[in-house]
Amino acid sequence: MKLRAKLGYTAAGMTVLAAMLTPFLLMGLFTNGVAALGLHVDEMYSGGPGVRTIQSGAYSINIHRPVFPHMLQRDQPFVQLDWKPVSALPGRVSDVVDLDGDGKPDIRVSFDVPKDPKATLRVDVESLNPHYEAMRNAGKEKYSRLIVRVDDAILVRVPLANP
Amino acid sequence: MASNACMPRFGNEAPRSAGRAVLLTLPILLWSLLMFFHPGGNTGRLWLIADGITAVFMTTLFFMMMRTRRTYRWRRWFFVSVGVLFPIGFIHNVMAMRGTMGIPIEEMIAGRTPFCFMPIPLLILPAAFTRTIVFPGSILPGGGMSGSGIASMVGLWLAITLVIGKGWCSYACFFGGIEEGVAAVPKRAKIRKIDPRWRLGPWAVLMAMVLLSLGLFESAYCMWLCPFKAVSEYVAARNTVGLIQNGIFMLLFGGLVIALPLLTKKRTQCSFFCPFGAFQSIFNKASIFEIKIDQTLCKPCALCQTACPTMSLSNESIARGETLMSCMKCGACVDACPRKAAVWHIKGTEVAGKPERARLMFLYAAWAMAVMFGGSIIAQGIATILHFLA
Repeated sequence: MKLRAKLGYTAAGMTVLAAMLTPFLLMGLFTNGVAALGLHVDEMYSGGPGVRTIQSGAYSINIHRPVFPHMLQRDQPFVQLDWKPVSALPGRVSDVVDLDGDGKPDIRVSFDVPKDPKATLRVDVESLNPHYEAMRNAGKEKYSRLIVRVDDAILVRVPLANP
Repeated sequence: MASNACMPRFGNEAPRSAGRAVLLTLPILLWSLLMFFHPGGNTGRLWLIADGITAVFMTTLFFMMMRTRRTYRWRRWFFVSVGVLFPIGFIHNVMAMRGTMGIPIEEMIAGRTPFCFMPIPLLILPAAFTRTIVFPGSILPGGGMSGSGIASMVGLWLAITLVIGKGWCSYACFFGGIEEGVAAVPKRAKIRKIDPRWRLGPWAVLMAMVLLSLGLFESAYCMWLCPFKAVSEYVAARNTVGLIQNGIFMLLFGGLVIALPLLTKKRTQCSFFCPFGAFQSIFNKASIFEIKIDQTLCKPCALCQTACPTMSLSNESIARGETLMSCMKCGACVDACPRKAAVWHIKGTEVAGKPERARLMFLYAAWAMAVMFGGSIIAQGIATILHFLA
């Protein structure tokens, strides 16, 4: 048998072995390899990392880093705020928030907190700083302009006016 | 006896003896038992029944492949079962968890969008340039309907690709079975002449979607073109754009997965449209198994070309003794060739060597993957049906 043929059969045998090892070793190896690449889900979906937390009585407001669209992405830049836990929120939330941490209020956010977790949410945002857009009775129109309930938090995304 | 030289190698090939076929099937039986009944696996009566049925089904199909020395028709039973049962299990899960097939924006923000293998090629460039995954799922296990993350699906794809290369499209894809089943319905094709330039379709779609995904920073194929959104999940139609997207999904599913396979008896979505199939063709080079045409036996009769469900044989490729790179190693041409000129082959070995040995080695690898991945999909579909019947 020629060397090439021997190598071919050896490789075929190793392939069958690799198949047997896939659920026990290879799959986990490759999965961990991909996870170790340090990739992250697009912030347009995830909202970006949190940068500051403001405690307001029994609940907290987590302020995220502003998110800017890539290339031709069809959305405005925005900043995300999380109110949690939902159980600690009053029936109506109306908070003045300093988004950039300069000690001056930037927006006033007001929304009702219905008891039914599946109820539609609406939010009003009054702009106290021209860098942030006002929103009136907004639902979940766009990634950059919405209020949604995710697990035990209510998320509000406020579009930036002048990025 | 000059004509003896032209006699087909296995012209009157007898089926393998039942005893020998059983012996050859034993490793797959053990593998099936290991996959479906391992400690820490599914529990509950319905799941045990579903796993048992699947193990018997997969083992029986492999036994028939061994006994008859035929691959395609038995593999097709498996593949069509996966294609039909995947939507049943998946849609049931989706409906049970969120009550709709439409993915609400909350689930995307929470990173709980189920990730299938289709967007893998679209994620590469954005990930390479910005280390960003342009998909609203989770990278690590914990997100998605099945509890697995993007890394798990990519890991599974890499492992299976390493083993069977483009064989993914015949032994692992959970979408292709639908059109393969539809294509099997008519006795004859109504459309027989298909312009071979359509074979470039998947490459065009792949290139367009890769560039669009990089530009728009979203998984453009999932958002706009995936025909299988019609039988899995889709972006919840919150506005006119959403309605248009869902209309496109339905139209492509009806045309490419139902109507055209009925008319052509080909896997038209796979052959002319699927960008993942084109992407997978590139990785096929890593696989040691392939299909070859033994030039010493071939008398071009075009039976293999007619049998091929993906138009992966042309006159030119046959003259070169090989298939086109879109070949999915389904075995249709090998089974169709009356002269046994189309053969399974291990790279580096002689084409006229031991094709049955090559077939066996490929099938052990491919069927191990089929039992592990497709088998779990079949079991889930059966468990769902049993759940409704119980």
